[in-house]
This record gives sequence, structure tokens and C-alpha cells, in this order.
Amino acid sequence: MKRILLWWAERALLVLVSVIVLFPIAWMFLTAFKSPRDAYSLSLNFTPTFNNFVTVFSHPWNLGDMVLNSVVVASVTVLIAVPCASLAAYSFSRFRVRGRKFLFFLVLSTQFIPAVVIVLPFFLMFRQLGLLDTRIALIIVNLAIVTPFVIWMIKGYIDAIPTDSEEAAMIDGASRLRVIWDIVLPVAAPGILTSAIFCFILTWNEFLFSLILTRRDAVTLPVGLVNFRTERGDLWELMSAAGVMITVPIFIMALLIQKHFTRGMTAGAVK
Amino acid sequence: MRDRSLQYVLLVPAFVIVLATTFYPLAYSLTTAFRDWDLTRSRRPEGWVGFDNFAHAFTESHFLNSLWVTTIFVVTSVALTLVIAMSLALLLRRKGRMHTFTRVVLILPFAMSPALIGVSYRFMFNPEFGVLSNGLAAIFPWLEGTAWLADPELAMAILVLTDVWHWAPYMTFMCLGGLASIPRETEEAARIDGASNIRIFFGIILPQMKGVLLVTAILKTIFALKMFDQVVTLTGGGPGTSTETLAYFIFNVGFEWYDMGYASALAWILTAIMMTISIWYVRMLLSERKMATA
Repeated sequence: MKRILLWWAERALLVLVSVIVLFPIAWMFLTAFKSPRDAYSLSLNFTPTFNNFVTVFSHPWNLGDMVLNSVVVASVTVLIAVPCASLAAYSFSRFRVRGRKFLFFLVLSTQFIPAVVIVLPFFLMFRQLGLLDTRIALIIVNLAIVTPFVIWMIKGYIDAIPTDSEEAAMIDGASRLRVIWDIVLPVAAPGILTSAIFCFILTWNEFLFSLILTRRDAVTLPVGLVNFRTERGDLWELMSAAGVMITVPIFIMALLIQKHFTRGMTAGAVK
Repeated sequence: MRDRSLQYVLLVPAFVIVLATTFYPLAYSLTTAFRDWDLTRSRRPEGWVGFDNFAHAFTESHFLNSLWVTTIFVVTSVALTLVIAMSLALLLRRKGRMHTFTRVVLILPFAMSPALIGVSYRFMFNPEFGVLSNGLAAIFPWLEGTAWLADPELAMAILVLTDVWHWAPYMTFMCLGGLASIPRETEEAARIDGASNIRIFFGIILPQMKGVLLVTAILKTIFALKMFDQVVTLTGGGPGTSTETLAYFIFNVGFEWYDMGYASALAWILTAIMMTISIWYVRMLLSERKMATA
């Protein structure tokens, strides 16, 4: 009897957890398909419409520009950070570099620096250079946050790869770079891909830098949300439509790497 | 290329990025912290003022308020996140279809933009047409007409709620990783000896999870101290200054008042706080490791 009760209690808890997590997301998705009038009612009985999406992509909201900015900034950041970080992670993992501990500590310590500290000087520098409100500015500051994190993550993956086959190939006369390219890279690929997606998520959702460094041309999606707060009040149905646009690509990515995702979270951290 | 030079060459690109994007601006902001620089007055930094900016902070009620707000936020959100993450990890560690489904669901909050989370909760707690404010009023009639985000304590509670919603799932995965690395034999032996679940948890599981929980606590504390996005999109620091965290206050000083010197000094105070807490945690972690191996 007690066991049956516990069995049901466990299921009930699991359902409750899923509901708490899914409800805010589901509500946003529903609101995105509601007409303005329905958005202000709590009714679930409404005729779905695509109008909100049409509205946010047209003048004056121009969400398309922000989507493009977000895609460019996040992709370029990943394309620069991940290759550089992978090389550094390999070096940290395989070599006893002199001052290795100090260097690695230097990389990790950057994670303790609040973004506000970094963005202030960058704001002043970019103002001097005329780089405010450009994508380049956003890419540069995002690299600051993302690169150390990715080094840490990828090092966790490379540490887990046994060195036997590398050593065997080197004895056969393969160069170190060949070994990295032919042996380590294929094995580490899932880990590197996971790190790349993590990196993409962080950059895609980044808010503070974009809020401070952009005005009109280089605004990214999360900051675009603030635009829907108007003199007429908050336009919830449009905010929700924009929210769906921010969320869907990231959810797809996160679910694609779902298995590695949970491992990636723990790999670097727990060690 | 010989390994000896290669090992450095491999580090070069990443270090160029890290040095240029973090250590250079850090140095820049450190020097700014000792200067008087009001951006509305002058385009270039003005005179050196020594520790004036730092001294100013500790006599200003605005700053002291933001310290207090940050403390409340960090303590509650870290404590709640850890307890919830640990409980969820225990719940989810068994096998089963619903367990797997819930684990997949738990990936989503971390992937969601914190700014968007703030916006969503603001919508759901809107007193007139918010689904949660109305839903709660339907279940608990005395909550009818509560202006959730206009009340200092409730606004703080909702701010903490959004943060816990965002981070607890991520931290659950860290705890699950920790649980997976604990050998099950001792636990099963204790169970056969008739030990209760509570005793097994406090006597066997928790001691072995200390290391993982400490790491989780460090990370969560850092994230909580840095938390900024939801303050902007959920409360705007309000009502009044009741949810004005240190990060948000620095942002205001820098980009609403354009007082660069003072903002830089404040930013360094925040960095110092984060460093101190991290070092303290790491020390605990290291002594924990020593005890475990001894």
C-alpha cells in the first residue's frame, strides 16, 4: 500500500515539475498566436492567428533585422571562439606547459568578472572608435565572456579521451598537428559541437552588451523585446511573438544535443 | 614543429582573445575608477581623485541599498536553487519514461533568454490580465487584486522565482552528474540493514555530494551576483529601489548618469566581492577534497 502511494506520489511530482517548467513557455506560445483582444483575456478558446508574426516583421518593429543581427553575432562569435579555444584546450590537456596552472587560473578567473566591468571600458573605447551600434563591437565583447568558458568545457572533453592512440601514432612518425587533426578532432567532435552550441546559446541570449552598445542598427533579439514596451503600454502579443522567434531556434539546438547537453554541463564543472 | 614550441603556439590565439577582451578593459576600468569622469561634462577623463569614488560609495545610501538588495537576492536564490536542484536530482535519478521526459523538459529553461523570462513573468503577474495573478486569485480569494510587481517584497520574490526557474534545472543536471558518480553499494547495504530514506540521504548521499554541491554553490553565487537581465525586463529595479541589485545600480550610474569614474569603482567593488566569495568557496572545496582523500 505504502509503495503504491509512493509510486503515485513520484509520478505526481514529476508531472508537477514538468508543468511548472512548461507552463510559462506554453503561455508565451499561446499568446503569440492570439489576437490583441484575446491576449488580454485568459481564455483558451480563441482563433489562432499569424498576424502578430506579420506585424513584428514589418515596419516599425522590423524584427527581421534583429534576427539577422543575432544570427550574425552569435555565429561569428562561435566561429572565432571555438577553434581558438579547442587548440588552447588541447594544449592545457596534453602538455605540461610551464606556468600551466597559472595560465589556466587566469582563464578561469575571467568568469568571476561581472560583465558590467568589461562593458564600461568597451563602451568608452567603441565610442572613440565609432564602433558603437555595430555587430563587430558585439562580437568582440561576446568573445570576452564566451572564450574562457569554451576552453574550460572543451578541456573537460579532451581530458576524457585516452592518449594511447595518439602516442601510438606519434611513435609511427605522425606529427603532433596530424595527430590533433586525424585522431583527436574526430573523437572530440561531439564535445566540441556541444560546446559550440552552448556558446551559441550564451551569445544569442546575451542582453547587457547589446543593451548598452547598440541603439538601432545592431540591436539583437533579446533587446528588441524592450521595444514592445511603448507609451500605449506593453504589447504582450507582439512581445510573445518575438519571444517565440528568440526561443524556437535555441530550443531546437538544445534538444538536438540533448544527451551531450547534460554531460557538457557537468563535464567541466564537476572535475 | 616540436612539441615544446607547439604547446605555446596552440595557446596563442585564445590568449590573444582573452587578454584583449578582458584584461585590457579591466586595466582600463581600474584606472578609470581612480579618476573623475563625467561623460556629460567631458569626452576625456578628468583629474585623478584617488580613492574618492570608492569612499563615496560607502557613504551613499543608494549603493548601500543595492548591496542589501543583492545580498537578499543572492542568499535566497542560491539556497532555493540548491535545495530544489538536489531534490529534483534525487527524484530524477531513477529510470523510467516519465523521468526521461522530465529530464528533457528541464533542458528548456536554461536555453531560454533571461530577458525573455523576465518579460514572460511580468506578463503572467500583470494584475489585470496576468494568468498567474488571476489563477492564484481564483484559488486563494484573498489574493484578489494583489499588485504583485508593485509590492517591494513580492517583486523581490518574483525576481528570485524567475532566477530559480532559470537555473535550478541546470543545477539539477550537475547534481545528477554527482549522484551518478557515487557508488550505489553502500546505499543498498544500508537499505538492506533497514536504514530509513532520510537517514540514507543525510548519512550516505549528502556527505558524498558535498564537493559537487559546493561547486554548484560557487557557480550559482557567481551567476546570482551577475544577474541583470531580469531586473531590467521584470521590475526595472522597482518599485522604488527595492529590486535594484548592484549590477543594475552600476548600469544606472554608468549609462543613465554617465558617471564613468564612479561606475568603474562600483564595478570593481562587485568584482572584489565575487572574488572573495569564490576564493572562500574554493578553499572549502580544497579542504573537503583533502578530507575525502585522507
